[in-house]
Amino acid sequence: MKRALVPAALLILFAVPALLDTKAQTPPKSQSVAASAANLERYRGMLDDYCVTCHSTALKTGGIAFDALDLQKAADNADIWEKALRKLRGRLMPPPGNPQPEQKDIDSFIAWMESNLDSHAKGPKAGYVPIQRLNRTEYAASVKALVGVDVNTKEILPQDIQVGGFDNIAAALSVSPAFLDQYITAARQVAKIAVGSSNPRVSNVKYSVAANQNNDYPLPPGTRGGVRFKHNFPADGEYRINILNLSVGLYTGSMENESTVVILLDDKIVFRKPIGGPADLELAERKGPAGRDEIMKRFAKIPVQVHAGVHDVAVAFIDRSHVESDENVANPAGFNGLTGTTAVADRMARLVDGIEILGPYNPTGVSQTASRALIFICDPQNQAQNQAQNQTKTAGEQTCAKQIAENLARRAFRRPITADDLAQLMPFYVAGRESGGSFDQGIEQIIAAVLASPEFLFRSIRGTAIVKPVGTSPNSDFPLTDLELASRLSFFLWNTPPDDELLKLAAAGEFAKPGVPGNKEMDKQVRRMLADPKASSLVTSFAMKWLNIADLDAVQPNPMLFPEFNEQLRRDFSTEAEDFLSSILLEDHSVLDLLAANYTFLNERLARHYGISGVVGNQFRKVALTQNDTEKERWGILGKGAVLLRTSYGDRTSPVLRGKWVLDSLMGTPPSPPPPDVATNLDEKAGEAPKTIRARLEQHREKAICMQCHGVIDPTGLPLENFDAIGQWRTTDRQANNAAIDASTVLPNGVPINGVVELRAQLASHPAQFVQAMTEKLTMYALNRELEYFDMPQVRAVVRAAAKDNYKFSSIVLGIVNTDAFRKQGAAPPPAPKQTGVSVAAK
Amino acid sequence: MFITKKHISRRTVLKASGASLALPFLDAMVPAATALAQTAAVPKMRAAFFYLPHGAIMYNTSHGPAMDKWTPSGSGADFKLSPILASLEPYKKYVSSFGNLENAATAGSVHTFTPATWLSATRPDSGGPRAHMATTLDQVMAKVISQDTPLPSLELASETIVQSAAGGGGNYTTLSFRDAESPLPMEYNPRKVFLQLFGEGDTPQERASISHETNSILDLMLDRTKKLQGELGSSDRAALDGYLESVREIERRTQKAASKSLGDLKIPDAPVGPLEDFDAQVKLMFDLLALAFQADLTRVATYIMVAEGTNRTYNHIGVPDAFHPVSHHANDIERINKLVKIQTWHVEKFTELVKKMAETPDGQGTLLDHSIFMYGSNMSNSDLHNNYPEPNIVVGGGCGKMKLLGQHIVLPERTPIANLHLTLLQKVGLERDKFGDSTGTIAGV
Repeated sequence: MKRALVPAALLILFAVPALLDTKAQTPPKSQSVAASAANLERYRGMLDDYCVTCHSTALKTGGIAFDALDLQKAADNADIWEKALRKLRGRLMPPPGNPQPEQKDIDSFIAWMESNLDSHAKGPKAGYVPIQRLNRTEYAASVKALVGVDVNTKEILPQDIQVGGFDNIAAALSVSPAFLDQYITAARQVAKIAVGSSNPRVSNVKYSVAANQNNDYPLPPGTRGGVRFKHNFPADGEYRINILNLSVGLYTGSMENESTVVILLDDKIVFRKPIGGPADLELAERKGPAGRDEIMKRFAKIPVQVHAGVHDVAVAFIDRSHVESDENVANPAGFNGLTGTTAVADRMARLVDGIEILGPYNPTGVSQTASRALIFICDPQNQAQNQAQNQTKTAGEQTCAKQIAENLARRAFRRPITADDLAQLMPFYVAGRESGGSFDQGIEQIIAAVLASPEFLFRSIRGTAIVKPVGTSPNSDFPLTDLELASRLSFFLWNTPPDDELLKLAAAGEFAKPGVPGNKEMDKQVRRMLADPKASSLVTSFAMKWLNIADLDAVQPNPMLFPEFNEQLRRDFSTEAEDFLSSILLEDHSVLDLLAANYTFLNERLARHYGISGVVGNQFRKVALTQNDTEKERWGILGKGAVLLRTSYGDRTSPVLRGKWVLDSLMGTPPSPPPPDVATNLDEKAGEAPKTIRARLEQHREKAICMQCHGVIDPTGLPLENFDAIGQWRTTDRQANNAAIDASTVLPNGVPINGVVELRAQLASHPAQFVQAMTEKLTMYALNRELEYFDMPQVRAVVRAAAKDNYKFSSIVLGIVNTDAFRKQGAAPPPAPKQTGVSVAAK
Repeated sequence: MFITKKHISRRTVLKASGASLALPFLDAMVPAATALAQTAAVPKMRAAFFYLPHGAIMYNTSHGPAMDKWTPSGSGADFKLSPILASLEPYKKYVSSFGNLENAATAGSVHTFTPATWLSATRPDSGGPRAHMATTLDQVMAKVISQDTPLPSLELASETIVQSAAGGGGNYTTLSFRDAESPLPMEYNPRKVFLQLFGEGDTPQERASISHETNSILDLMLDRTKKLQGELGSSDRAALDGYLESVREIERRTQKAASKSLGDLKIPDAPVGPLEDFDAQVKLMFDLLALAFQADLTRVATYIMVAEGTNRTYNHIGVPDAFHPVSHHANDIERINKLVKIQTWHVEKFTELVKKMAETPDGQGTLLDHSIFMYGSNMSNSDLHNNYPEPNIVVGGGCGKMKLLGQHIVLPERTPIANLHLTLLQKVGLERDKFGDSTGTIAGV
């Protein structure tokens, strides 16, 4: 323990200026910091009665002894008390099965302790954030912002390590040659695409139907069973499209009914031809392979004229009435063209492989593309003309190239560009231009160099202080510079480098004067940025990960048990969740709506899955949810398919995963992981009569060691048992002889509830707890580091301040960007000793 | 998606003759392939490590030794493979199995440290978000045997290693640490593996120009990184040291690749991306690895054949259950049998690689004669997450350093797995007397 022990009276004196300094909202006055002696005695007694049994100087369970801690000097042990508060808030301690204090006593203790820690806060004001590499999401968003190129990061960059669900935690963003290799390759390829080429070689790209299933990119209205993607056409010219396999196989049933294949380019039909019907059926049946080839020839080398740039391509079938064929009427599930499991799909042509795009043939040049508009801010020809008449074409090009380099590098490096920077970038232009290439090729080289520069790939916080001697680290915290704040803000809200407006304000020092928190300009910028479409990264990179619903692929429902599940439904779950989160965060509503909003976003398929009627068609739209039973249970995040699927196994629900999810994501009180060497299986033994999960969990909790944690986890997850593993409502368990579902439980705080609606009400009745859980995660995401005990007073201040604004999302964001934790860099920890293969004994 | 298929393909490599290969997607590549390093009088060692999570069905279920489906017995003529290992029968003289191995470094971590500690035998310091463990066995070997190839090592996976059951994609879900603080990403996209191995460019001119561009970019990176370091505090400077090292590493690779002799062998089209069909995906990864060893593009590899804590189902072998949940078998016979099926299938896929190695001539012998492959797990009974005894075998001739006997060696109880690591390190020619928590080496291997 490094902290010096200071008498309590002195502490209070010092605490006041410290508070002013941090601009933390003053803790509620009603909670007297100097608790009465009687209260202190009461808290001491509660600790002695319920905690010291294990956490004593003699036993030191978990390394903690409460009998040795002085409540009068709680702030001296803030690290321990913050942990204790978390355990108490979640009722994780004392462990279930042990004597429990009254909830009101716990509440009173928590309130007193929090206000005590907040007003006496003496830890560091900010933690240390090391230099960090752009993760792959940030890399892609940055490239998009800088040169307008869409990068499929999964294709070209390695996966980042996740900490607490987030992949933007600075300390974990390490670099290895494999990373670097891929970043260099990406830089070169992005540069090539951004500039385009007036005479590229013919290339061949295949888009497979299977890969397209993970695409959350719906087909155009009125079509079915196809692929849709964005394709980069490198030059103006003719391209040829091959449709690879339209299920014209040995089994000729797919030719029985006629359907129409269409190709859409930016939503305009550029090709339309029928397949199937009596003539094709005869061809396929009578002439065998030759006949089938004849049919497919109609769908090969389809010529289309396209301008350079990224275009939206869709290959699909015109949707038609399902009643045209008698057989189809009986199939309420409708088309499932991609997976092709329904009877309908078997009687019509389907896309089974994918499509290929070849070209360009006879390219005619590169017309203006979105990328080129961002890059070519000047024209070398005009440049020569505008300047002195005697200037040569080459000199005009040089000037223009410099402007382009300066503009690009300033945005990429997130700071004004020096002569030195340009001196290093320009040789790339010269090399590209002079080795027989064009002006464009010179620019392409500059782009590659900028995107591979460490100033682009890394973010670091240095402050204004010149580090002396060189190579040391400051040993106290210091404020971020304007430019550093602009970067931190921009990566937080947009995942991109700051735009011109932010850079301009930062460079002028207008934007956030060091040491003056609550700068008006900053607040104005935050509001502008939240209103920008780029803020959707807060949904995809933050909220979806906070709620652990970013990778729904992780759960593979067993097709034998859940034949109604398919990849489209999985995609619908994601779309619904993203739309729902966006509607609250980006439209700036109270984040409490996340718990209880009475609307959602549905298409017909998802509505049917939820048992909600009146939604027709493939398009997602906002749907108000009534008080009716089937709709009320879908209110808020707890009723969303994405959450319910993600917290299940492929073959059953898991109240344990769901309970853990609620405790961790919504309450901020995560339970501990299971101890080693205990059997954790709940599955039934062969020959045993099938039991509900609830019954199996009850059996499991009979063991005291399991009860310690599951006594909290299970009751928190059980109210969701009316949702099966793929999020359908159920009242009986078809895997347990149709036993009735019992979703009643007694929550760890002693409140008896039944079902999702009452669980939701319980969570909503503790708004500060939910908002704090979210704020902690959002702060971690914003700071690119894990939170420490000393951050908690600042987090609580943000929550208290946001309460006055009904917890609107913007009030939380504004609170965070005005904390010291956000505006300052903490002292660097002493360097870790280099370890080389030395083993550390098992703990 | 902007990487075109034909665009990045057909880079000619290496001369070839000899046994034929069947490679999905890579069929075009060869009439045949022979290891390239065969000109050298001294054969070059290949080392690879194949990891299957969730242990194996051994004697420590409640059913006792009768249910042990992993452990072989005997040696030489009496050497008997177990049901799980049965597919290795034709190569059994290359197989050494080890009883009573323990890895204390992963104890109690459930799944969290299990992949990373397999080859480190070192308890991670998991206090913060930054990784801290030790260089893993494969990387120690790479520094000895794989420095003159274009790639020092290859890290492969069959699917994403971000799995919530295994620490949600934290630092210790990888098999390989380059040094104490550098976990290496495991690549599951065969397309990216392909590019790592064969690079980009269609024609010699294009390759030359790409290599030239890469070199200038690397120079710029080195220069600017050094400059940047001058402006940073000590701890950030240190972080960038690792980056500089990586830049130099790539520089070295680029030179190696450029000096690599090109024969008239055509490299096939690059695979498009991860395959939906798990069976094909695993096979493709093994095929790419075989190709890398045959072409001598690297000599060290790790392959996590399915992710720790995976929910992957194995419908293609009649196991519709998700691997991780079913691995908590609760001693139920039906579930145990499903696990045995999964474990057997993975060994069979591995055997296909062994077969290819055995059929590829290399100098005086075959690639299998010049390889050390370790296959196994860092868990014992998956129902309990325990770590003793761990199922592990070594396959290959090790350039004459491994006994070609075929044997199951019963070690003293709780022998650290690091003893096996240290033994293998010495086989590849590294004189060291300690690795991880080793207490000695294993004799008679």
